[in-house]
Amino acid sequence: MHEMPVTQALLDLALEHAGGRRITDIYLQVGRMAAIVPDSVEVFFEYLSEGTLAEGARLHFEMVPLEMTCLDCGSKQDLSAWADQPPHTILQNAFARGCACGGKNLRVTGGVSFGLVSIDVEPES
Amino acid sequence: MVNIPVLKEVTEANTILADYLRSRFTHVLVLNVIASPGAGKTSLLERTITQLNGTLKIAVIEGDPTTSIDAERIAAVGMPVVQINTQGGCHLEARQIQRAVEQLDVADADVLIIENVGNLLCPTEWDLGEDIKVVVASLPEGDDKPLKYPGAFLKAQAAVINKIDLEPYIAAKAATMRENALKINPGLAIFEVSCTTGEGIDVWLDWVRQKLAEKRAAEG
Repeated sequence: MHEMPVTQALLDLALEHAGGRRITDIYLQVGRMAAIVPDSVEVFFEYLSEGTLAEGARLHFEMVPLEMTCLDCGSKQDLSAWADQPPHTILQNAFARGCACGGKNLRVTGGVSFGLVSIDVEPES
Repeated sequence: MVNIPVLKEVTEANTILADYLRSRFTHVLVLNVIASPGAGKTSLLERTITQLNGTLKIAVIEGDPTTSIDAERIAAVGMPVVQINTQGGCHLEARQIQRAVEQLDVADADVLIIENVGNLLCPTEWDLGEDIKVVVASLPEGDDKPLKYPGAFLKAQAAVINKIDLEPYIAAKAATMRENALKINPGLAIFEVSCTTGEGIDVWLDWVRQKLAEKRAAEG
């Protein structure tokens, strides 16, 4: 239900980078654990973008799997192989497995945020 | 068509403001307390304030959709408090904290406690400039709470399991909730307390004092 303020933030950020040009497409990355519902963002975007240079822009969502980093050796683990499992199972398994280096000190470093990758704008006429 | 790379978090504006607030919060430990409605956030604050009173100065920011009931409870125990009403909003944001600290003298406070809106999803996404996120979960909510809301437990440094005095009467067990929380975040500091009887509060308060000392030592 926080999608409305999140969508407003997304719209503000996109408009800020558009330099006064019309936005046609917005490319987004949604972390597996970002607690963002794309459908809900779509609904709020349609409403909030009305009358702005982003009105009618298409939203493209790319889902980002969880990623962990070993604090001992710095190596990263992509957990996308477990993507069909619920987040708590993925986390539990990943923490239990640890790192290939033998380290058990893992941090979640990816799949938790909602990012604006890029925007397409119409060229200035 | 022209593609313009942005490569930023959607909530970046909030994070920038939160980082600015954090840079201003020197020598005061800032806790962002997150929980479902009814988990006992305000009760934990009352216990914390009452038992630290005389040794540490506490300031409080209360976030609620409406009413000033919580601020009145905190004011009743004699602490400076600002109530933020989000008018239905499901979480606090950094700009609300910025406005609140204009009305609240945090310069000589030791600990600033921000009680977020009762919600275990949305508040975890919004940085308020805190040092530590504390998640509170009460036993009657179910000991599987950490599994259902992993985001809150993952981003927190401390978890307070409240209402342990009710354990004999319900199916949920504190040990199970602890185990589930550690599955999500093995680094969590976990405290089992009852804000009604006061059990376990001392251990929680020792941890708060220790975190304040660590912050001040790091600042030099």
